[in-house]
Amino acid sequence: MPIFTPGLVHTPVTPFTAGLEIDFGLFEKLLEFHLRNGAQALALPMHTGESVSLSDAEQRELIAYTIKQVKGRVPVIAHVSDSGTAIAADRARQAQDAGAAAVVATTPYYWTPPPAMVLEHFAQIGSAVSIPFFIFYTPEELGATKLDTDLVLKLINRLGNFAGVVDASLDWQFMINIVSNAWRVRPDFQLVSGTEYMVSAGAVGATSMFSSLAGVAPGLVRQLYDICRKEKYFEARKVQEELAALRQSVKRAGFAGLKGAMRAMGRDCGQPRPPLDALSAGGYKELAAELGALTALREEPRGW
Amino acid sequence: MSIILKGVMQSTVTPFKADFSPDLATFERLLEFHVRTGATAISWPHHKAESLNLTLAERKAFAEVAVKVVAGRIPVSIHVSALAVEDSMELARHAQKIGADAIIAITPYFWNPSPDAIYDYFVRLGTAVELPLIAYNSPSYLSGIEFTGDLTRRLIERLPNLIAMKEASFNSEKFLEISRVALALRPTFSMIAGVEFLAPSVPLGCVGSYSSAGAICPNLCTQLYDACVAGESVRARELQFKLAQLWNLFRDQYPSSLKGGMVIMGRPVGPTRPPLPTASKERQAYIATQLEELGIIESEPHGW
Repeated sequence: MPIFTPGLVHTPVTPFTAGLEIDFGLFEKLLEFHLRNGAQALALPMHTGESVSLSDAEQRELIAYTIKQVKGRVPVIAHVSDSGTAIAADRARQAQDAGAAAVVATTPYYWTPPPAMVLEHFAQIGSAVSIPFFIFYTPEELGATKLDTDLVLKLINRLGNFAGVVDASLDWQFMINIVSNAWRVRPDFQLVSGTEYMVSAGAVGATSMFSSLAGVAPGLVRQLYDICRKEKYFEARKVQEELAALRQSVKRAGFAGLKGAMRAMGRDCGQPRPPLDALSAGGYKELAAELGALTALREEPRGW
Repeated sequence: MSIILKGVMQSTVTPFKADFSPDLATFERLLEFHVRTGATAISWPHHKAESLNLTLAERKAFAEVAVKVVAGRIPVSIHVSALAVEDSMELARHAQKIGADAIIAITPYFWNPSPDAIYDYFVRLGTAVELPLIAYNSPSYLSGIEFTGDLTRRLIERLPNLIAMKEASFNSEKFLEISRVALALRPTFSMIAGVEFLAPSVPLGCVGSYSSAGAICPNLCTQLYDACVAGESVRARELQFKLAQLWNLFRDQYPSSLKGGMVIMGRPVGPTRPPLPTASKERQAYIATQLEELGIIESEPHGW
């Protein structure tokens, strides 16, 4: 398995029409925006792209559409998570057939299987494909099912294409434990920062980064990523703090905050699907005012 | 009243005799050991020093020894957190009376207090003494009870003597949430990492750490700090991985294994008080193999 370093990975939202159908016309514009604004790879549909609110058919269609639209300009990583192992494995297989460069999956939704079955879940998804397979670890969203070094080492042993962990735990000891142990048996194993908290992740070994805020502030995101790749972490502090401030504002508005922030930047992608709450008019106004006060956003692109 | 907190600060363990009674003579030797091997401050009794297994009288007796033995060579802070708030108040007043340089306190135990209750507690503590106050954030040990950016802001605005925070969430988002607020309001505020998580935090403005493994490997701790401050990211990562392995070894039933390791290093400090276990001979033998493997035994001081 050759080394696959995803680099700076943008994770686009999924635009919806007023009737809450996928808006492919807008999605095409969104993909082009990401490609023009620093994406070295795309991963979708991640949770920020409301994967869990898309039907199986919609997820497959979105992935295939993206690959066709991108035409090899950057690698496309398909997010294939599901509750059922076979469903996720099948989606992975389909993504590979459509031309995905890699697949990524979380611990299963809802179930809290014992460690041996979590291993089985990942092993079956990963072995359904020959392209690189990544685990997406997001314990804050997925609660009880934990990932640990033992499971990662066992999976490395079972899967030649197990390429790395995308970390959204932000937990320093977890990241260090995973990557320091994995590197001993698979030196090209990738630690990928699952959010824009790249300074700490980079300092302990992350070389790639997933970013949903790239839809809002792609310039800042790219700047942070580039400085961190040079391992100039002290220099990265300012832009890291600016992105932390942006992330905090977006998070405060709830899940709909990301689409709200994109709207504030002139890239309206509609509201999220139920059961997520839409952003109220008042909530949007407040968020837009907060973003307006962030001087770091002044140089960021407005509109498409 | 200002003191400078930076570098590798040592939070001393509490030595006991075989019958679990306080061993003040060994405590004196341990303090001397830390001062001699480069500690930039002493802080006692953190949880690592079994604070909650000591009576109030014992805590006062040890605190007096700490202040007397260190004798102004480096700052001494006293951890005053007790189950009952009234006891914390008494320990704080005592710390001031005996000439300690600062007090440190965690959010109150057990009751899962609201942010307002935490605010009131710290205001009461901070206004009861004229000493500098260090706040201590450790959400994973206190069922998620923690400082937020907002609470930190309110406390800094209210308390001129709130000078630092021991931030032990080990999480990038939490660290930045607090550091951004604190340093904007009070540029001299010291963000201090719990354990030796320096590589992920120093680039973000962290000034040092309360060491976990300092009684085992003071040289390694200082090397890590120096590498981080110098921006030597590759070396810092390497040393951080090593210290993370030690943290994996010691965190279980903390500080039981740490005290077991001190036996191996020729600095026995006696048993750990129940309900924490004392490291068995077998556990000590295992720790010895780990210390050997990590090269600690040959590169770090043996004996007092």
